[in-house]
Amino acid sequence: MCEHIVKAEEPKLLPGDLAMWIFIFAELLVFGIAFIAYAITRAQNIDMFNQYQLTLNSEIGAANTLLLITASYFVVRAIHAIRLNNVKTCILWIYASLGCGTIFLLLKLLEYYDKFSHGINLSSNTFYMFYLSLTLFHFMHVILGMIILFAIVIKAQRGHYSAENYIGIETGASYWHMVDLVWIILFPLVYVIR
Amino acid sequence: MLYDEHLPMSIRYNIHTIWLAMLVLTLSTYIMGKLDFNGIIITFILLLTVITKAYFIINDYMELRGVSLLWRVIMYGWLWVICISIAITYIVSL
Repeated sequence: MCEHIVKAEEPKLLPGDLAMWIFIFAELLVFGIAFIAYAITRAQNIDMFNQYQLTLNSEIGAANTLLLITASYFVVRAIHAIRLNNVKTCILWIYASLGCGTIFLLLKLLEYYDKFSHGINLSSNTFYMFYLSLTLFHFMHVILGMIILFAIVIKAQRGHYSAENYIGIETGASYWHMVDLVWIILFPLVYVIR
Repeated sequence: MLYDEHLPMSIRYNIHTIWLAMLVLTLSTYIMGKLDFNGIIITFILLLTVITKAYFIINDYMELRGVSLLWRVIMYGWLWVICISIAITYIVSL
């Protein structure tokens, strides 16, 4: 009993592979610096930032936030399923998450098409430079997250994961949650706060 | 408090209610933007909304609840440094 209590009070290990967490911390550092740079630059150009922020499509921004939050929820459901050794359900939840990611990318492409068709690019002004840089950088992370999830779902279909071995799924899930976490800050910072 | 990752979460605080809460918080953020609410109070409310959602993601979805203090300090430190920096720049720009 005492042995059980001592074991239970020990801190848990990070879910997934430690190498992925080092990568996640590095990514968060880069995004963090970019967010602070945006806030500082905005403070020096308030009128311009407020004016051009109004040209952004906050409906798509909000829809994309809902999609990423839901995609993260689906990945959590996938982890819970594999812990119960329910591989098929786990696979379905990961595909559902990939579906949300795909819709996110399509909506983002629609948003970019609208901006680029109006002649807006990185050189248009400082606000658009930040808007395009931050969201395009995040866009690439969504693609990478989807590639990781796709690799995981293929391995799951080949029977590589079970209730005893699901560290690969946890590793991919951690990265996917990081993508969600970054967008949770990016959306209000760039689209809403004025 | 003993921690067991296999214990079910409470009926009010679980991954499903957290997901719904984050959807509601996102919609509230969108509505505040759409109604053109602005000013320092609104900025603080929006940043608190960000912190709440990020807390849910880090603590419950990433499952960092109960891991070594070092990892939690890194994650929450990152979050607080960004949100405080944003708040300071908004106060300075007033």
